[in-house]
Amino acid sequence: MQQFQKRMHNTLITIAGLALLAFSAFAFASPEGKPSFSPKVPHPTNGTTECVEPEDDMKKNHMNYILHQRDETVHEGIRTKKYSLKECINCHVPKDSTARFGDDQHFCSSCHNFAGVSIDCFQCHMDRPMADKPTGDRPTGAKPLGKNPHGAQISKPVSTEIASTPTGAASTKGSKQ
Amino acid sequence: MSCNDVNVSRRSFVGQTATAAAALTIVPGVFLHTVAEAKPVDQAVTSAVRWGMLIDTAKCASGCTACVSACNTENGIASHGRPRTDQQWIRKVTLRDKQTKHEISLPMLCQHCESPPCVDVCPTGASFKREDGIVLVDRHICIGCRYCMIACPYKARSFAHETVDLTVDYQPRGKGTVESCTMCVHRVDEGGTPACVEACSEAEHGAMIFGDIKNPDSEISKQLVEHGGKQIRADLGLNTGVRYRGI
Repeated sequence: MQQFQKRMHNTLITIAGLALLAFSAFAFASPEGKPSFSPKVPHPTNGTTECVEPEDDMKKNHMNYILHQRDETVHEGIRTKKYSLKECINCHVPKDSTARFGDDQHFCSSCHNFAGVSIDCFQCHMDRPMADKPTGDRPTGAKPLGKNPHGAQISKPVSTEIASTPTGAASTKGSKQ
Repeated sequence: MSCNDVNVSRRSFVGQTATAAAALTIVPGVFLHTVAEAKPVDQAVTSAVRWGMLIDTAKCASGCTACVSACNTENGIASHGRPRTDQQWIRKVTLRDKQTKHEISLPMLCQHCESPPCVDVCPTGASFKREDGIVLVDRHICIGCRYCMIACPYKARSFAHETVDLTVDYQPRGKGTVESCTMCVHRVDEGGTPACVEACSEAEHGAMIFGDIKNPDSEISKQLVEHGGKQIRADLGLNTGVRYRGI
């Protein structure tokens, strides 16, 4: 009798386990049938379908590619685009995107948030494509400098007068201490 | 007669060969020069070139800050309204002789020394000199100790005290690291000229010349040969890449 009870108990546990498994499979399945418990990574919107390396490889090794390229670019001036972080962003983040690094909609953070891996790339690098290369207010003479405190607010292109500016100090000191 | 003909043709053959040989010897030289000016993107910089600048203080207009604003625009340097701590890669300096009251104006920037004190003192190796003589900070490695700022005799480096609002993607900058003039390395690697030099020329002052000081045919080398170029604090023996005329 005791043995029968034990066997029944085991059977019940097995049935409950199977039921739970079946339920979970339904619960996490998206309408397309793919499991939705992986992060939703936005794909490039510029028509590009292939990354610089196969997707699986990129998932595993993108950090190594970027790190390698980083040192080559900074120290040796090698500026190939293939593994450049700038190109990742240019391709994967739409130009008009409002998503910033940290948002789930941002290409990098969509996965990094999910995996709980924090990165500091975007403390210095841009997390979005650059709007336009600043053509700059390239002056034909000296121009007012707006917010820049380092120069003079002058209008004449060339003047023989010494403008009373921070740079006009009678020493070799610049405007900065 | 036929003998003469042969001789003529032989002479012309020898002459032609000599011309061809001369052309062949010149062409590689020209070709190498071109490569040095704009290196292929996938090749590392070499010590075959050394980038430098020659600044003519006689042409540098007092009060003009075209180079400063061009630098700020190019590298996305913006003021936080606190001049004492704002970043500054290039600044205008006025020198006055106390005896004669003669004043000269000049832009002061990283002098890109051959033996940079900032590189000597850096505890992490973040401060480094590229093969082509450009002195840079690798901000991936910089810990923001500011030792290099103290070591620099030209006060050329700045510390990013505040979060940077980036406007350009080719010049990543961030809070907590030291930065200075990169000689617009992103432009130079593509065969371009630094923004300040371009702006100075566009402002029709032409006080700044940029080029390869190792190439005797470059404009800067010719000017240096003809007029010379002084180093600021030459006594330190740093062999600066930025030279001045008229100081």
